[in-house]
Amino acid sequence: MPIEKSELLQGTLDMLILKIVELGPVHGYGISQRIRQISKEVLQVQQGSLYPALHRLEKRGWLAAEWGESDNGRQAKFYELSAKGRKQLASEESNWHRLAGAVGHILETAE
Amino acid sequence: MFGWKSLFHKRALDAQLDSELRFHIEKLVNDYMAQGLAREEARRQAVLEFGGREQIKEELRDVHRFSFVETMMANLKSAFRFIRKSPSFSLAVILTLALGIGANSAVFSAIDAILLRPLPFPNGDQLMELRQYNPKTKSPRTRLAPVRLEDWNRMNSTFQAITGYYTEDNSETSGPLPEKVTQAFVTPRFLQVWGISPALGRDFTAEEEHFGGPNAILISDRFWRRRFAADPNALGKKLRINGYSSSIVGIMPASFLFPDRDVDLWSAVPPDAPIAQNREWTWYLAIGRLKPGVTIEQARANLATVQKQLGSAFPKTDADLTVGIEPLKEKTIGGVRRSLWILFGSVSVLLLIACTNIIALLLARAAQRQHEISVRFSLGGTRTAIVTQLVTEVFVLALAGAAFGLLVANAASKVFRSLAANLPRVEEIHLDVRIVAYSLVCSVVVTLLCGLFPAIRGTRNNMSRSLAQASRTQVSARNPLPWLLVGVQVALAVTLLAGAGLLLRSFQALGRVSPGFDPSHVLTFHVSASYGETSDWKGLTQRIDRTIDSLGNMPGVETAATAAALPGVPSHYQLELKFAEGQADPERKIIAESRFVSPGYFATMQIPLLSGELCRKTPDSLKSINVLVNRSFLNTYLAESTAVGRHLQEVPGSTFLPPGEIQGIVGDAREAGLDHEPGPTVYWCTSAADPDPFYLVRTATEPMAMVKALRQRIHEIEPDRSVFEITPLEEHLSEAFAENRLRTILLAFFAATAVSLACLGLYGTLSYSVNVRRREVGLRLALGAVRGQIVKQFLLQGLGVSLLGCGAGCVLAAMFGRVLSGMLYGVTSSDVATMSGVVLLVLVVGAIASLAPAIRAARVEPMNVLRDE
Repeated sequence: MPIEKSELLQGTLDMLILKIVELGPVHGYGISQRIRQISKEVLQVQQGSLYPALHRLEKRGWLAAEWGESDNGRQAKFYELSAKGRKQLASEESNWHRLAGAVGHILETAE
Repeated sequence: MFGWKSLFHKRALDAQLDSELRFHIEKLVNDYMAQGLAREEARRQAVLEFGGREQIKEELRDVHRFSFVETMMANLKSAFRFIRKSPSFSLAVILTLALGIGANSAVFSAIDAILLRPLPFPNGDQLMELRQYNPKTKSPRTRLAPVRLEDWNRMNSTFQAITGYYTEDNSETSGPLPEKVTQAFVTPRFLQVWGISPALGRDFTAEEEHFGGPNAILISDRFWRRRFAADPNALGKKLRINGYSSSIVGIMPASFLFPDRDVDLWSAVPPDAPIAQNREWTWYLAIGRLKPGVTIEQARANLATVQKQLGSAFPKTDADLTVGIEPLKEKTIGGVRRSLWILFGSVSVLLLIACTNIIALLLARAAQRQHEISVRFSLGGTRTAIVTQLVTEVFVLALAGAAFGLLVANAASKVFRSLAANLPRVEEIHLDVRIVAYSLVCSVVVTLLCGLFPAIRGTRNNMSRSLAQASRTQVSARNPLPWLLVGVQVALAVTLLAGAGLLLRSFQALGRVSPGFDPSHVLTFHVSASYGETSDWKGLTQRIDRTIDSLGNMPGVETAATAAALPGVPSHYQLELKFAEGQADPERKIIAESRFVSPGYFATMQIPLLSGELCRKTPDSLKSINVLVNRSFLNTYLAESTAVGRHLQEVPGSTFLPPGEIQGIVGDAREAGLDHEPGPTVYWCTSAADPDPFYLVRTATEPMAMVKALRQRIHEIEPDRSVFEITPLEEHLSEAFAENRLRTILLAFFAATAVSLACLGLYGTLSYSVNVRRREVGLRLALGAVRGQIVKQFLLQGLGVSLLGCGAGCVLAAMFGRVLSGMLYGVTSSDVATMSGVVLLVLVVGAIASLAPAIRAARVEPMNVLRDE
């Protein structure tokens, strides 16, 4: 049975982007690839949401961006996590875990 | 913070977005190609997968653009909320700024109109005033002979054209009563030089500018409206002036107020008229228009060469003459420049005080808002964002201040215009786009000056500080900054006040001066006359003498006289003289102020005769003349020998002034201006130095009560002449100091405002300090402190700051005094009495301003304060 592709929860995309970028400087294409790979093709990010999100995060100062050379020698815009972004990621992660834990708990006990 | 980049570098941003997205697509193409698709197909798939590129780009642009507008709007919104929330604070700031910016814009509008703008003619900066003068003598005769003007115009290579004019007051007799008209006599090229043409009708024709041609005149807009009710059919009508009939050929535009505001008529003087051929005549004030691109230095060099050539052609009359050229604008505005800049400086200091005041208010405000600011920080606001927001608030206030300021400026410049009616170009002052722009610039400067510093300071140390600490406003009461600001305000106020004080005391001193003549009960006026009458000087003298005699016989008139210039109204006419009999030291130059008066002048002005006798009338003043000298002339030039009987003559000799025999010595009078010590003066006794002298009549009663009778008498003896400018001498004297008075009034007003602002600042800062220290005071009172001590402590704090401010202010005032020194009379620029008066005044006012907060501090109820905690 083919795996159904899920839409992302509102607000989760930002967290995922921050998480991916935490691993090191990466460009937009790289981010979309990694989300797809790591989620085993379950999550697919539309470029129409990815890029506005990236720019928003950059504006807020959570991401820092720099133009650099990619592996095939072309100029690409690389995003990096800023100190503020790191803090933000930590708080979002812990929020998420709490939320997920709570939801999981409800699902389990209500069965 | 502002996203300026996205606004101003839209194109650069677009390129970046494009290249970022293209990179992504390239990668997808590569992926598909790796899966084995052909390039074309891979590209198609990639583009398909990527989705609407333009749409994404638009969204990205929104991210950037929207954030800018959003921040701006949010800032503005919060600024308005802030203003609504604290109306009294905002009102105080707005009103202070409205006053500051308004006064500043008003003075700037005067500076702009009078000093900065070119004269209201096409390429007005090309207009120059030209004079002839003899550098070897001090002779003031600098008007230009008609032939020489034509020579200059023909021989130079730097001017487009040179023209000249002179004015006289004549009677126009085509109506039922003679009407006084001011007539300008102009050389050819007059309108060409100004660069204007008549609003209706035409310029003079070549025929009208030739001797024997038809008489034509141009009339002013004012005269056209007054006389013809602006009827266009006035063209071609005839006017009768001094017995000559002339047709109106043109009507000048209303804006043409040069060279004299009151000229009613212009008529052409033919340069080929026989009477215009004498090289010694001094008729014309000359105006030239430079060729484009020619500098004033080139013109000076060029005219100097021309005059040198004339000097060798006419050695007798032209060899000693040189040419003076000044921009006409400089000549027009004259000495007003300095007064205006001083006023502008003062009014800027006032604005500075207002700003300092507002800085202090904002600092206090920022301390109260510490909590709010902390909350913003903890919500993730950056410091730049918060500073931007605080500055936006100030900007909105400043903008409102500038808007009200324009209303203030409008009213103020009306007051200014009525106070300064005598100033040159004052009719050109009005509010326009430039002044609005200037006010806007003012408000931006004010914003940066007032807003930035408190905002930066208010957000300092807040990055890490937690909310916990901000729950109670922790402002150090010993914070020196607000006190420094108060000190600065006091210092600036003292500076202005000292300046105003010096000017006021000069004015006072001027009022106490004993002028050496008695200006009360003297009426002055003119009777229209023409320079044409000088062709028969004997007849002219007889006519004026007859008028004087007739006036002197009137009931209610004690004595009557004429004088070429009014006593006490600043004017200099210094001639170089020598004794016909020779003198002990032939090298010593005799320079004396020369006044031309009728013999009755001394009785009329009550200038005492000290020795010898008064002048006698001489039948022909071109052949022989009597003179009187004053005491200071005697002391300076004749200390060792007798005066009476000696003859004085002009150096070099002129055909107009024969050697004068000294008849007697009179007392010193301040002829050349009340603010001038009387210098050596020679009175040449002729009633007709000029066809149109000032008539001076000493009346037994109130002078203006005699006006009607005087008019009637002149009409009886001279039915074709008109009487005009009937004014008491005292009014002329006070008018002579109009600019002085304007300066004094305005500076005093600015100083008073400055002191009030400084006191407000002192009061506000002290009140704030009292508020902050309520706990401390309460605690001390609870521990048994005496209330008197508390009052004393705060009072002394206020006074201490005022005293320091006064100290600094005295230093500044000394510098300001030096700037003013040329305008002072009877006081030195560092007058101790003025300074101590100013300091005392400021201290008293400062003490009053400090008293209320100090008493409020002592009234603190310890229990209330401690309970609040």
